[in-house]
Amino acid sequence: MTAEAAGGGGEVVGRVLGTQTATPLSFWVGLEPGTVVQLDEVIAARREVPGRGEVLIAGVVTNVEARHEGAAYDSDVFLISQGVLPAAVVESAEVTVTRVEPEVYVPPLPGTVARRAGDKDRERALYFDVMERRLPVGLGRDGEPIHLNMDFLDGTRGAHVSISGVSGVATKTSFATYLLYSIFNSGALGGEAHNTKALIFSVKGEDLLFLDHANNRLDADARESYRKLGLPVGPFGSVHVFAPPRPGDPNGTPHVTARTQDVSPFFWTLAEFCEEELLRYVFADAEDERAQYTMLIGQVAARLKHAAKPAGDGGAVRLGDTEVCRTYEDLVGFIEDTLTDEDSRREWGAQLMGLGTVNAFLRRLRSSVRSLSPIIRGDLAARDDRSISTSRTQVTVVDLHNLPERAQRFVVGVVLRGEFARKESTGSARPLLFVVLDELNKYAPREGGSPIKEILLDVAERGRSLGVILIGAQQTASEVERRIVANCAVRVAGRLDAAEATRGEYGWLPPAARARATIAKPGTMFVGQPEIPVPLAVGFPFPAWATRPSEASHRAPSDLSGDPFAGLTAIDDSELPPF
Amino acid sequence: MTTAPSQAATITIDPWDPGYATSVTADAVAELDASSVKLDLGVELPAERWRPITPPPREAPPGGLIVADGVRRIEARVWAGDPSGGMPVPGIAASCAAGLVRCVPGGPAALADWEVSRSLFTPSPAAADLVTRAGTYTAVRAPGGTAEQLSLALQRRLSDLEVTLATRYRSAAAQDDLLIVDGPLRGRAHLPRTVGYVKTHHAAYLKDAQAAVLAGLKPGQRTPVFLMTTSWERHSWYLRLPTPSTAPWAGIARCEATADLSRKEAADLADQCAAVIPGLAGVGYKDPRAPQNLVPIGGLEKLLRHRLGDAGILYRALRTAARGA
Repeated sequence: MTAEAAGGGGEVVGRVLGTQTATPLSFWVGLEPGTVVQLDEVIAARREVPGRGEVLIAGVVTNVEARHEGAAYDSDVFLISQGVLPAAVVESAEVTVTRVEPEVYVPPLPGTVARRAGDKDRERALYFDVMERRLPVGLGRDGEPIHLNMDFLDGTRGAHVSISGVSGVATKTSFATYLLYSIFNSGALGGEAHNTKALIFSVKGEDLLFLDHANNRLDADARESYRKLGLPVGPFGSVHVFAPPRPGDPNGTPHVTARTQDVSPFFWTLAEFCEEELLRYVFADAEDERAQYTMLIGQVAARLKHAAKPAGDGGAVRLGDTEVCRTYEDLVGFIEDTLTDEDSRREWGAQLMGLGTVNAFLRRLRSSVRSLSPIIRGDLAARDDRSISTSRTQVTVVDLHNLPERAQRFVVGVVLRGEFARKESTGSARPLLFVVLDELNKYAPREGGSPIKEILLDVAERGRSLGVILIGAQQTASEVERRIVANCAVRVAGRLDAAEATRGEYGWLPPAARARATIAKPGTMFVGQPEIPVPLAVGFPFPAWATRPSEASHRAPSDLSGDPFAGLTAIDDSELPPF
Repeated sequence: MTTAPSQAATITIDPWDPGYATSVTADAVAELDASSVKLDLGVELPAERWRPITPPPREAPPGGLIVADGVRRIEARVWAGDPSGGMPVPGIAASCAAGLVRCVPGGPAALADWEVSRSLFTPSPAAADLVTRAGTYTAVRAPGGTAEQLSLALQRRLSDLEVTLATRYRSAAAQDDLLIVDGPLRGRAHLPRTVGYVKTHHAAYLKDAQAAVLAGLKPGQRTPVFLMTTSWERHSWYLRLPTPSTAPWAGIARCEATADLSRKEAADLADQCAAVIPGLAGVGYKDPRAPQNLVPIGGLEKLLRHRLGDAGILYRALRTAARGA
């Protein structure tokens, strides 16, 4: 009670204004001369309510104003600065209330002393005191950690993260990787953290290929930030990268220049393509679902599954009696021949389709050849490590940046379907799988339907109970399927485009925060979470892992010994080429 | 109208708006005795050689300019009952405030000192202090019950307050500054480095050739110093402030300084004022009394009026207090 009596222990910044209406949800504080208060600081005021005792009214500064009191005209500023017209400079701060404790919704009385929240008040104002498992998401403007309630991330009470922001300056991917790092290392998940997995789809260059290399540009300030956040400084422990096969390479080595260890190629064999009916994902662009040819897709896929027989161990398939398809182009050619021939078309059940529909299907199928040929193969030697799987390491990076957009969609669709089905079959939400997917608006656009959108919707709506948590990033949340954004418990915004910021999807950002989001610096994010009524501005620390080859320090031997699987994969890699 | 059994007079608040009471301004009070003025025109220049004087450019004094002013407001008209059963007498409840603004070159103009006084003016000898929740109105005996007499009593009270404040400031700070007092110097002539600044003219003191010199002043110029005696003696000179108007009296202000100054000191002080004051002149679209109403004075009046408090609240407090008494 002594801390209470002392007003929570914070420094006095001013008094509640009476010239602006004070309400239980927001009030203004006139700042004492010489006191500086900036946006996002936490301010607390107290009021004695008869019968209920002392009520804490605490909130976050959402606006600060400075003005000349006593000046009536704009030109008075010159007279005042000349020292001719007496006037006072006054500063006042708007506080948006986040917490009223106990819940007696009364305004603070004008004249009440307002304090910068002390440790305890800050915890209460930002609801950190009720968070059982806290995830540090960054440092507030006051240099103190800001936490996220893990319950809203791991599916206990909510799940999924939506990160929005302009490309290049919003640092969406960096924040997503930082979030993963925090999830794995903060201890918020307890012992479960070790088994928790992350699947990252990398669409922008090779930035994410060095997650397990320490960043040699990390300075003392950044280390201090990690220390404040209670996080160790270091790269991700175990990372495996999947990349598409190098074009023209008969061994199918991964098409990556900057990384040699823990890299595998990924591709699907023609046998898998037919067996698993992956044809649907070839048509994964946001076309109108009602188009006639979509009926053909299912039919052809079923026929392929039925007709394809494996030919050799390279994944080639024999279709019909004689033909062996070794490349995707062969397969497309076979489908084309079959559907253009009158007899075989009837055999494949397409006799009822108009020729125009068949041609529309074929035209689209043909256009996929160039994009998909590199990853649907029947001509490569069998490799054990070529299927994308999250079981091998904690973080799995799927490098898509060398692939055309259509192939990216195919990969995302097929991989997500696989992981989702695997989680469904285990029947347990734990361990969790975090899926980081950038450019969500491409995979789950607001308009139209596609098989990938269906999977993502499934993840958004059922992933919480299955332990698949989506960390989606997009430039424009307004272009992403509403139900996906609506299902995200945690919303994050970096630098926003001014026009985009006015959209309804950013309603969780109050006007002042929205205006600020259009000038936010890289590394500053606004984090909205269900428990706290205002989004909090956080700065997340410079990555402790390398984000480009020049930043990567050579991995210390201790890193290798610390990860028992790292060595094994490396040996696998070197052993394989002879086959 | 009830009569209280106690010795103190019962105060009743008149429901009429106090604005209907006539008012007598400070300058009017000062010039009430203008009829018997005696001038000595030859203090600086012989009367026949009078001409507009352009002061040499001067910086403001290092100690800064101190500007003093006061404001007054009648808050309610009251009736003071006679405890012995006679007719109630009229009075006014009024507030006045005086203050000083210090303008230091290169720094902000700041309110150096201020004071608010609330009083109940009535000729009733039985009137007691009126305590309201917004402040105490000290009972002050007025010479008579007419509006003019009550207003004059209020003006005296304000003048006293201004003198007290200026004296207090002068005795505390002894720097190289210049005190400009809004209104005549009466009662403050003893203060060093102090100039009275009169902006409204109820009488034209200068006649004939000298009046022509006054009319011919260009902005920034002044007349020679002359000695002026009414009920008291002081140095005085006219000054034209920057104004776009070409009317003969446009932008004319009169300054007063103590009669104790030597001829040279008086001319020097006049030069200093003529160099410094035009820089403080207001502009017409911001202040209807520009340019004579100097910017620091306008700002000070605004601050003081603000410090008088809200008239509505005071009126309500007075009514509540009078009903309870």
